[in-house]
Amino acid sequence: MIGIADPIRFMIDLTAFFSIYLMLSISLNLEYGYTGIPNFGKVLFFAGGAFIAGAVITRLLLIIIGLSSKNYCSFNVLYASEVTKYLAENPLLSILIFVTMLLAGCIVGGLLGYVASYPAIRLKETYLGITLLASGELLRIVARNYDPLICGTLGVSVPDVFAWIPASIKEFVQVLIMLGIALSTWFFVEKLTRSPLGRLIRAIRDNEIAAESYGKDVVKVRMKILVLGSAIAGIAGVLYALYVRSVHADDFMPLRTFIIWVMIIIGGVGNNIGAALGSFIYVSTERLIMQYKHYIVAPFDVNYLSYIFFGIVLILILMFKPKGLLPEKPSKTTEFEKIIKKLKKK
Amino acid sequence: MVVSTAETTLLIDAMIFGNLLVLLAVGLTLTYITLRIPNFAHGDLATIGAYVAYFIYTCFKISPYLSIPLAFLISGTIALLSYLFIFKPLADRGTGIIGLMIASIALEVVLRSSLHVYADILSETYKVISRGFLFRDYTITLGTLSLPYLFIISSALSIFLIFSFYILLTKTKFGIAMRAAIENPNLAEVLGVDVNKVYAISWFLAGGLAGIAGAFLPFRITAGPEVGWFMLLRTFASSILGGFLSIYGAMLGGYAVGFAEIIGIYFLSKPPFNISTAFRPAISFMILIITLLIVPEGLASKIKLEKISKLLKTIKRSKKQ
Repeated sequence: MIGIADPIRFMIDLTAFFSIYLMLSISLNLEYGYTGIPNFGKVLFFAGGAFIAGAVITRLLLIIIGLSSKNYCSFNVLYASEVTKYLAENPLLSILIFVTMLLAGCIVGGLLGYVASYPAIRLKETYLGITLLASGELLRIVARNYDPLICGTLGVSVPDVFAWIPASIKEFVQVLIMLGIALSTWFFVEKLTRSPLGRLIRAIRDNEIAAESYGKDVVKVRMKILVLGSAIAGIAGVLYALYVRSVHADDFMPLRTFIIWVMIIIGGVGNNIGAALGSFIYVSTERLIMQYKHYIVAPFDVNYLSYIFFGIVLILILMFKPKGLLPEKPSKTTEFEKIIKKLKKK
Repeated sequence: MVVSTAETTLLIDAMIFGNLLVLLAVGLTLTYITLRIPNFAHGDLATIGAYVAYFIYTCFKISPYLSIPLAFLISGTIALLSYLFIFKPLADRGTGIIGLMIASIALEVVLRSSLHVYADILSETYKVISRGFLFRDYTITLGTLSLPYLFIISSALSIFLIFSFYILLTKTKFGIAMRAAIENPNLAEVLGVDVNKVYAISWFLAGGLAGIAGAFLPFRITAGPEVGWFMLLRTFASSILGGFLSIYGAMLGGYAVGFAEIIGIYFLSKPPFNISTAFRPAISFMILIITLLIVPEGLASKIKLEKISKLLKTIKRSKKQ
């Protein structure tokens, strides 16, 4: 690749962020694309996962090792590197911590989703959007000012749970695991949307009253989906914290929610391949801009240009191609059954 | 009246904050009643006003108070253009509420990023700080009270606004057409009201009011490209507390949220609670959530315009007596 200083590093970063954004866009697609819940607070659940990873791992391991966590915030970088050294010698513990954190992210995301779904039952889509957006900001404000969580504005550094893998292949393995988790969520959501529940959520999206008149519990199903989507976002948050190795409250601005919306609107609402395509387009553009940023001479930060660009693209897509690049396709189930019947007749 | 100075300043601060929120919330409500979308870009229209005032102040050393008309015009024009070129075409194409909300978030990101770019260019070309700036205010002394200019000007403007909206909505042909177009667009159109024109003017007025509020903001809050975004949550809380469909409700909500936030954090940061003042935005958030869960139709749902006019008449009578 011409002009890219370190192609391997570039590919690893690209894959890592693609995996994280794939999980987020797939879960938003499940919520909005299939069920019709306008989740404008996606960053809330993502931040929930990242914050729990940032707040817990180092402290937990310090207890296990038997060190004191005095002045945790001032020395958290030191503590994290100390813990990383310990983890490098204990592969089993590292794996255990990794799996526990994934579960914790899932639970925290799900819990936040459950709390957020409380107004979701009662509010119209407009008010729901406002409430979710505001909740995301509230969590950020709390994290920014409540030191015991992630050390406020200072941010917290996260130990490396993959330190036990030889350094030459470490990042490669980590990224593969992330991609693996992202792809499994993709298959899980894909399976889910083809299941009876998948048909039910689409029915709710298309006509809530009709679904209700058939005796379906719309409120319960919406809650279920919001909890599920939030749990996926929580796992993505943990993976993000472990990859970036630090958690700052200001990383979780509502801008992130906007980015995930850009992905699914560009890719195609109600189509998981579209969501994947959207995340790939966004992440590769973002990474390329990061790479070539230094070559562009401008009296301002080039990142803002990319936000302006994506904002305009989003509005244009809403106007001229509201279904996105890959529109929702009718369910494949009927065709598949026909094929089986034909095969049986033969 | 015996009032200690600390409490007087607190009340003055609360009044100023309330005035700013009224300016913002009335605008937000004005746009909401047209297309029924919460305009997330509303805060950035205020930021534009702040930068207009700051640019004029740094270049020509003209007091920010004198750039209010220009801030009104520029923010109003941008709001009008966003209605004409984004929201109206989208609504005409049959985009749903969620689609319009996404578009308004996209517009918010575009405006805010453009303001960041503008701030960078501003500091590059004029060698001035373009983030975290403040305007210096002067005070006049009335007896024992020392009042900041901002208090007098913003209060006068808000009172003027309340009365002019009252006259506009009840006494003029345009105001009646506006109410009709908001109440039932189709019926109003049949009866010869140019609904599109009414909506366009509403958007212009909304943006203009946000611009004025923006020009006032740096007197109180360190302003940067994000300042409008920080005000947005409070604006939403004010508008929703007021019912989101009533202009007078928005005024009421603005003062309620402004006073609750300033006076609330004053007491919460004192010994029995010792809460950091950084949690101030949480008060607006609580108001928002509680309103939505308990009285989703807002405070103004029970207050009707006719009742206000009756109230005003009784006040007039009592003054005559």
